[in-house]
Amino acid sequence: MAGPIQNILVYIDGSEESVTAAEYAVCLAKSTGAELSALYVVNTRALNDLVKSRIFIASEEQEYQEDLENDAQKYLDHVKELAHKKAQPIELYQKNGAIHSEIKHLVEDLDIDLLIIGELSKIQSRRDEFYNEVERAMRSVPCSVLIAKDEDLVWSHYESLA
Amino acid sequence: MSILDLVTEDCIKVPLESTRKNDLLHEMIDLLKEAGKISDPDAIYQVVRAREDQGSTGLGEGIAIPHAKTDAVTDITLAIGISPQGIDFESLDGEDAKVFFMILAPPDKSGLHIEALSEVARLTRSAAFMRTLIHSETPAEVVELFQE
Repeated sequence: MAGPIQNILVYIDGSEESVTAAEYAVCLAKSTGAELSALYVVNTRALNDLVKSRIFIASEEQEYQEDLENDAQKYLDHVKELAHKKAQPIELYQKNGAIHSEIKHLVEDLDIDLLIIGELSKIQSRRDEFYNEVERAMRSVPCSVLIAKDEDLVWSHYESLA
Repeated sequence: MSILDLVTEDCIKVPLESTRKNDLLHEMIDLLKEAGKISDPDAIYQVVRAREDQGSTGLGEGIAIPHAKTDAVTDITLAIGISPQGIDFESLDGEDAKVFFMILAPPDKSGLHIEALSEVARLTRSAAFMRTLIHSETPAEVVELFQE
């Protein structure tokens, strides 16, 4: 009988915490034999909001979108390298849109049974609870969610993989 | 990232002394220099001014968000200034601006820069928040308001 974890998605946003999540995801995929995918969302929803509220002019929107797409490529490449170093196959996805909804859509499209995310930032005000995009995703996805914590311990597990 | 990570008393000035746009930009940049957040105020002024020359960041309804991407900072940096009497910031609605959020970011932190700008934009859409912010009399009151 197959185990409960067969299809893992790790969400990457360029933060140290999300890189730790990727290392954890590689460890878990190796030990369970699960398939592994990684997602980076270019937050075009926020970009559009900044243009609508007239904070950004059109040239800024284009410039920042290019920056974000370059970031996406850079961080997805990094995660690919983390996986390949441990001979773990990985599928990479870059999506544009609102973070929480793109995570949810990919979880559903790929029939993911475990979403791995990095440690969430500390809640410092009521607004933080309302607007944390990854927390919204965590609450709305239909699968189990794992929050990877303890950067040093996760790195040590990752390093010890054959 | 939470905007509260960026809001510190030493980067808030209430009330601002300037009465003209350029002076205000210098005043807020000097505030960041005094707080040890930046080391090259002239470079910051040049990029912020260049952005203003492409179109005022005075959004109307008393709010302005001067911002720039620059190598002259190493992390996302925020200064908040309040001018109860208002300053002509060439805002879209022609009204004086009273609350100023200056946000600077290095080129390699565009994602966080967008997050910070988005959060400030969201806050400024709250009439109650802005009303209370404009009437804040000390940096401590401003920080407290953000913590609610």
